[in-house]
Amino acid sequence: MREVPPLSRTASGWRGFLSALREFSYGFTGYEFARHALESRAAVENVFMLTLVGDMLGVPVMPPYYSLGLLPYVVPEIATWKRRVLREREFTDEHEYHLHGV
Amino acid sequence: MSSLWIVVIGAVVIYAAYTFYARRIDRTIIQADPNRATPARMYMDGADFMPTSRFVLYGYHFKSIAAAGPIVGVITAANLWGWLPSILWLMIGVSFIGWASDYSAIMLAVRNDGNSLSAVAHRLISPRTRQIMFLFIFFYLILVAGAFVGIMAAILSARPDVPFGIVVLAVMGLVAGYAIYRMRASIIGVTVLTVGITILAMAFGPAGATFQAGKPTDWSTAPIAGAVSSFNTSINKSGALYKVVDPTLADPRIPAPGTDGKRASTAAYNADTGEINVLPAFLLAAILLLVFSYLGANMAIWRFAQPVNYIGFWITAITIGLCAIGALLGAFVTLPGDQAAAGTFKLDAFKGFSPAVPGGALQPLWPMLFVTIACGAISGWHALFGSVGTARQLEYETDALPVGGGGMFSENTLGLLSLTAVAIAGGAGATAFAAGVGRLLNVASFQVIPLSFGTALGFGAFVVIVLTVVQLVFRVMRVTLAEWLGDSWAGFRNQHVASVVSMVVTLALVLSGTWVYLWQLFGASNQLMAALSLLLVTVWLRSIGRNPAFAGIPMLFMYVTTIAATVVTAYNLLVTIATKSGQAAISVVGAWAMIAVAVLLVVAAVVIAIDAWRAWNRYGAAPAPEAAPATG
Repeated sequence: MREVPPLSRTASGWRGFLSALREFSYGFTGYEFARHALESRAAVENVFMLTLVGDMLGVPVMPPYYSLGLLPYVVPEIATWKRRVLREREFTDEHEYHLHGV
Repeated sequence: MSSLWIVVIGAVVIYAAYTFYARRIDRTIIQADPNRATPARMYMDGADFMPTSRFVLYGYHFKSIAAAGPIVGVITAANLWGWLPSILWLMIGVSFIGWASDYSAIMLAVRNDGNSLSAVAHRLISPRTRQIMFLFIFFYLILVAGAFVGIMAAILSARPDVPFGIVVLAVMGLVAGYAIYRMRASIIGVTVLTVGITILAMAFGPAGATFQAGKPTDWSTAPIAGAVSSFNTSINKSGALYKVVDPTLADPRIPAPGTDGKRASTAAYNADTGEINVLPAFLLAAILLLVFSYLGANMAIWRFAQPVNYIGFWITAITIGLCAIGALLGAFVTLPGDQAAAGTFKLDAFKGFSPAVPGGALQPLWPMLFVTIACGAISGWHALFGSVGTARQLEYETDALPVGGGGMFSENTLGLLSLTAVAIAGGAGATAFAAGVGRLLNVASFQVIPLSFGTALGFGAFVVIVLTVVQLVFRVMRVTLAEWLGDSWAGFRNQHVASVVSMVVTLALVLSGTWVYLWQLFGASNQLMAALSLLLVTVWLRSIGRNPAFAGIPMLFMYVTTIAATVVTAYNLLVTIATKSGQAAISVVGAWAMIAVAVLLVVAAVVIAIDAWRAWNRYGAAPAPEAAPATG
């Protein structure tokens, strides 16, 4: 799918300014809620993926019969899931939000 | 000098520094390349690594770094050395050091696979540098929590109009969290409702009180503040628990001088001896603040801490925005009863290189100014956060300067506004800040908001700003304890145990003496962390064969200055509390504990410097290749 750059990067003049202002306001206010929701979803997805492929990893959570049936639907997510869970983390990574504003 | 000039000077200096210096460094030294893949693009995982528009990211980054730091430091420093050294350090600091620290930490993480500062330190300098960073973070948190809880407890015990707004803030936080995440209500509607109710509650706090110029406020006529005041009076009947002395006179329990220049004695302050009475109401306020923070540290983040901070952010933004308008108009408006325009500075421009303070404490301009004003000029915490948060969301490398550098320049304006508020009020500390905010709100609202109400709102806004930070500080502190000591004793892995331990240590520090020493020690640890971040950037630039001067020279200055400031603070603690006769036992124990922390910080900084020097020589002999992208 072709990537569409944000309007603030392509539009000029008044339209570009308004678009930039809108994006700034979003970053200033609601973006943290969106990020938190994404992180929550990622955490749930991690559990789901482990449940699904656990049998192959030596953690038999769900019988392979059901896992294999669901596997085709989660194949597109496997690459990002691997990146997410195989990355070495520190406590500052996990608690980035708590570092705000000091 | 007037508030308008501060706006003009700030705008010109920030524009010049960004355009002529920061952009040049970005172009010639770092060589940001829009065609080079950033970690956000390479490792997009839908959570941490996400390419994000630079405007969204700028708003997010600015909101994340702007809070109580640039306010508290500036109002303390202006009182000690005058407004001129404060503005000079704010301007010079942000132009040559502050932006460079924030921006380069982000670029360091971007060019090193999105790794955090401690991970890069482990690779570039030595494994133990990572451990020492944990040490810095932990003591940083204890010190900042102690300083913030101390100043807030002092305000809450001295101002009975403030606690009601805080209670309503907590309730509105719970409501907002539930409405946004559980009911999926419109964020705009929730914002208007919860922020509006909280501001109304802050206004109801002082409603009905009798304010008279030059006389103590009569709270008995106010329904809410009067009830709180009566309660405080009844629990204070037993008298002072013990006494402490604040050499800087910045404690909010010390009343502002009257028209004759003398301070009046109150229940909490003895003007004859200069001693502050630690009253039961102060202890109760500190405990209530810790209960609030306990909720923030232990409840699900979406249920309390995040929505409370969100409401607090709006209150801060509205207050700061109105103050900015007031600062612009203040040069042209003269308030009734005043001789000069409302924006005219009443504070001394310069109080000397080593102002006299009671009790034999030393407060030399160098190095103490440079740690007292921390976040508005330079902050190590920004670098830490930027490397694990912002750096992983940059869409293009060329966005790092407007987001990281631009965010720091924007935060600097908060410091300038705080300086304006305290300078036009002409007093000291949080009291003067609130009075200055009252004047600016009065001007900005065309005198619709009375001075007394504006001042009360100033106190309320100050506590809200600080409180929203403190609950997150305790959250990080319990996590740090679990990470650091969880293997030694499994109890630390329990979040409630870790929280209670953190809070008991903090309370002990708060009760042990004046908050100013805590603040200066916190500033030193924060600036040392900034120096460490610049040190990492210096070694990294050396390792890839680039000129590291833009980071190296500020790093040397900050390193020497902060170590010197730590030593001076330890000396002050030793002379004015630890070895001084007649001090309360808890003050003496707290002073020795803080001296131990100061020594530990200095030793840790020296160890890092030695390791960095070895790394510098190592990379001088054989430059290292840049980190290769990890394979997925």
